[in-house]
Amino acid sequence: MAGPVLETDVLVIGGGMAGAMAALSARASNARVALVRRSPGATAVSSGVLSVGDDPRALPGDFFASRCSPGDAARWVAAADPDHPYARVGEGLGEIEQAIAFAAHELSALIAPPEDRNRWIMTPYGSAIPCALCQRSMAAGDLVEVEGLVAVVGFRGHLGFDARLVAQGIDRLEGLGAPRAEAVELALFMGQGESIAQPFALAQALEAPGAAEAAGELLGKVLPAGAAVALFPPVLGLGPQDGGPWKSVPERIAAAAGIAVAETASDVPSVPGLRLQRAIDARLAASGVELLQGEVAPGPGGPGAPLEVAGRSVVAASWILATGRYLPGGIRRRGVLQETIFDLPVEVGGWPRRTSTPMSTGSLARRPAASLTDRDERALQPLFRAGVRVDAQLRPLDVDGRPVHPRLHACGAVLGGHEPAADGTGMGVAILTGRLAGRAAAGKL
Amino acid sequence: MSMTGAPAAYDVVILGGGVNGAGTARDCAMRGLRVLLLERSDFASGASGANSGMIHGGIRYMLSDRHVTELACRDSGYIQRIAPHLLFRIPFLMPFASAHQEASLVERATWYAMEVYVGTYDLYQPLKRGKPSTRLTAEELYDLEPGLRPGLAGAVTFDEWGIDSHRLCVSNALAAARHGAELRTWTEAVELVREGEKVVGVRFRDRLTGERGEARAPVVFNATGAWSPALARKSGAVVPMRPGKGVHLTLDRRWSNYGVACIAVDGRQMFLMPHENESIIGTTDDDFYGDPDDLEATADEVEYLLEGVESFVPGVRQARITRSWCGLRTTLFTYGMNEDALSREHLIIDHGARGASDHRARGAAGGPGGPDKRGDPSKVAEGLDGLLSIVGGKLASYRAQAEEATDRILAKLGRSAVACRTHLEPLPGGDALPDAAALAEQYGVAAPVAARVIYRHGSLAHEVLRLCQDDPRLGLVICRDEGILAAEVVHCVRHEKVRRLQDLRRRCRLALGSCGGLDCARIAAQLAGRELGWSGEQVRAELSDLLSQGWRERRPILDGHQLANEELLRGVHRGLGGL
Repeated sequence: MAGPVLETDVLVIGGGMAGAMAALSARASNARVALVRRSPGATAVSSGVLSVGDDPRALPGDFFASRCSPGDAARWVAAADPDHPYARVGEGLGEIEQAIAFAAHELSALIAPPEDRNRWIMTPYGSAIPCALCQRSMAAGDLVEVEGLVAVVGFRGHLGFDARLVAQGIDRLEGLGAPRAEAVELALFMGQGESIAQPFALAQALEAPGAAEAAGELLGKVLPAGAAVALFPPVLGLGPQDGGPWKSVPERIAAAAGIAVAETASDVPSVPGLRLQRAIDARLAASGVELLQGEVAPGPGGPGAPLEVAGRSVVAASWILATGRYLPGGIRRRGVLQETIFDLPVEVGGWPRRTSTPMSTGSLARRPAASLTDRDERALQPLFRAGVRVDAQLRPLDVDGRPVHPRLHACGAVLGGHEPAADGTGMGVAILTGRLAGRAAAGKL
Repeated sequence: MSMTGAPAAYDVVILGGGVNGAGTARDCAMRGLRVLLLERSDFASGASGANSGMIHGGIRYMLSDRHVTELACRDSGYIQRIAPHLLFRIPFLMPFASAHQEASLVERATWYAMEVYVGTYDLYQPLKRGKPSTRLTAEELYDLEPGLRPGLAGAVTFDEWGIDSHRLCVSNALAAARHGAELRTWTEAVELVREGEKVVGVRFRDRLTGERGEARAPVVFNATGAWSPALARKSGAVVPMRPGKGVHLTLDRRWSNYGVACIAVDGRQMFLMPHENESIIGTTDDDFYGDPDDLEATADEVEYLLEGVESFVPGVRQARITRSWCGLRTTLFTYGMNEDALSREHLIIDHGARGASDHRARGAAGGPGGPDKRGDPSKVAEGLDGLLSIVGGKLASYRAQAEEATDRILAKLGRSAVACRTHLEPLPGGDALPDAAALAEQYGVAAPVAARVIYRHGSLAHEVLRLCQDDPRLGLVICRDEGILAAEVVHCVRHEKVRRLQDLRRRCRLALGSCGGLDCARIAAQLAGRELGWSGEQVRAELSDLLSQGWRERRPILDGHQLANEELLRGVHRGLGGL
């Protein structure tokens, strides 16, 4: 191993939302923290909003504004689903509000200040998703707040965003208290070939001097009467670069058009997801977290023993596993479900719920994929809830249900019992368990 | 639900938009008949789109059904003439494997027999412009295909043709329409209309609009494949079928340079072959007793296929499987035989034939020897004069099957024989093969994309690419896996009888690539929605339906990177999109 041994208090493995929350929480407790990441993971392709939980009690037709807070939504999930990490953390769930506030504070350059309710942000699919936190560039599009007409703005040259589909999606939600919407199209980005129609190329083009202003002026001319906000595709700039003077694309468009401007959440490729990852990276660096890039080669010892990290030897009193689920590779299936760094046992959450002969974690992990899924795609899919099982201190458990090591913690999507990508609680779990794991790791020094 | 207008008068109503139905519709229309084709889902949505994608001679059938091989080879030659754009050469290697350090005498004899066997196949190769076989030494074999397991003693080669079977079927349907046939997809036959012992038409229902109608015709041709026994049964007729389930796997890239003939654990022949941008592993052959609408690969079948290929290409376990897909072979019912041994013959049944000796494809339906325990089904008088059914047959011989069916339909109608021209007249786009580089230059698209458009549309590629000239936005490549242009989606929706988003799976391979429709599905849905006037809710419903189809194909193979991709897909479509 090259380079001197790095001695630190807490080593976080994984640099997405969960790893960042863990590292920043540990720093906030004055621990020395190193964080190793391999490559951008699920956070970098996420929608750009941070959802903690929908309101499961909400009846169809319940107005957005009357629904419960993100924290209460999480408590409801915990009560309904004992496998969910919200339930596993026990009393730790009481910190959900503080954890959300902490995340918003740490990432305040990008994230809008939280409300005590969910915001409802449109997506390019014409759906609205509830979120505890959203990017500043999206806040003005919160359907609960808009008073007046939403002008959904498409660029004529950008086939990836159909303003009509989004406007109809808003109209469909009128019964829930959503505003009315109308689609408008700006004759922009026409005929410049294929590349310009891709989200990142559009975001870059809009950052160019004068581009956002030109779009704003064009928008000003076609705004329908009564429009209160202009809702754009999620391509409004790549975000602050290299710390230079910078004014956001939404602000520039708004100034030129004379109307509030917002963007929707994003599918992939996701410009807001990349912005979120960049904001995380910047915040980690600024808060004094030692950042390493590379792989982790597990050795025989646990926390406290030297670990080969990115080609260096790192000695840390506590380790936090924040490697995510399938997409970033924290959990993998190669015929069998495995946790990829420490080979921790993987549980398959949510199934079978009740059985006369309890099955061991291992036997489920070996089952064929098809037997861990339901043919109805929208049904609960145990395979997508597979992950590491932890105790209330977020310590991974061995097959006998005992902590593997008192100072090994796990957080985020690597935890089983929830479906981080699709069940609407993924970022909430990252925020809450990241914070709890970071504090627990730092507290044991 | 309303009845549409006055009963239309047709000469023949064809049930089923698979390759038999579409091919017969084309032939009938070309011979001047008034044709209505009803398809309960989309063209090629059953076995016609779930086969190995080969216009092959059926080297496997040479022992039992030699004329099947000959017919298939002859017709393969015709298909090359009428649709040259849809075909591509796939050379196959048949390796010599020994279980010992030094090959035993028996093994050497077996290899010699293989050589002779393939050499016999060479006799048919000129019919389909195939290249003659070659004997390869071990060294030559490993030069050509380094991924093969060590210890092979050499190989013989044989030559086959790959095809986009969806496009073949759709092209036949579109050709039928050009000749005046009326095509109704997503329309199911509810029941036959009878007058005494005569079948005089069909009552149908449009599954998308709920609209009902009645079509009158003196002949109804049941070409509904695995669905035909149930359809016939409703009217008291019998279609003797023993459906065999065939499963294929798709790998995300070309995993071998050539097709590799492998031996499965039970000694069956199977293969790994490069096909378009991917590789295909096939296939299983098992009796299927379930509902043909309810077809999914099982974990066992996936394992069986992988195990068989692994014994020749060990690295295949590392491959990313992107789809599993199944079809039902509509083999004729025979008792007392293994699935594999069932004849690939076809049979056209006249359900009204009273005691008359029925015509059948050269040879006996029950295979050589052994009486069929059910007796000869085609001779049972069922009092359904005017109803014909087709069972069995091969993709490669679809045109000949259609020709025979059309002959039978003409005879049934009492019309004088008109010469068949389906082997002479090109399918739409098959008249000329444009040059990809020239086309790319002319329309300002990337050459590989132009090549894909030509592959799928032949000379009609000009029409597709012209759309990009009129609207540069349509030059957007919405799928990088399959090279799908926005213009191609628009072209298919406008000109290729697209009624649902999932129809585009079978027009231009939408969402069939390794990403499963991650970022192309919504764009295609938006484009199709604009063309077809869908509401936002319809766009979302169509998108959800398209993605559910993919889920059913991927559920049995979720592993490795494919599982990671599925997580992302679910996140985007179900989590974010709320579909």
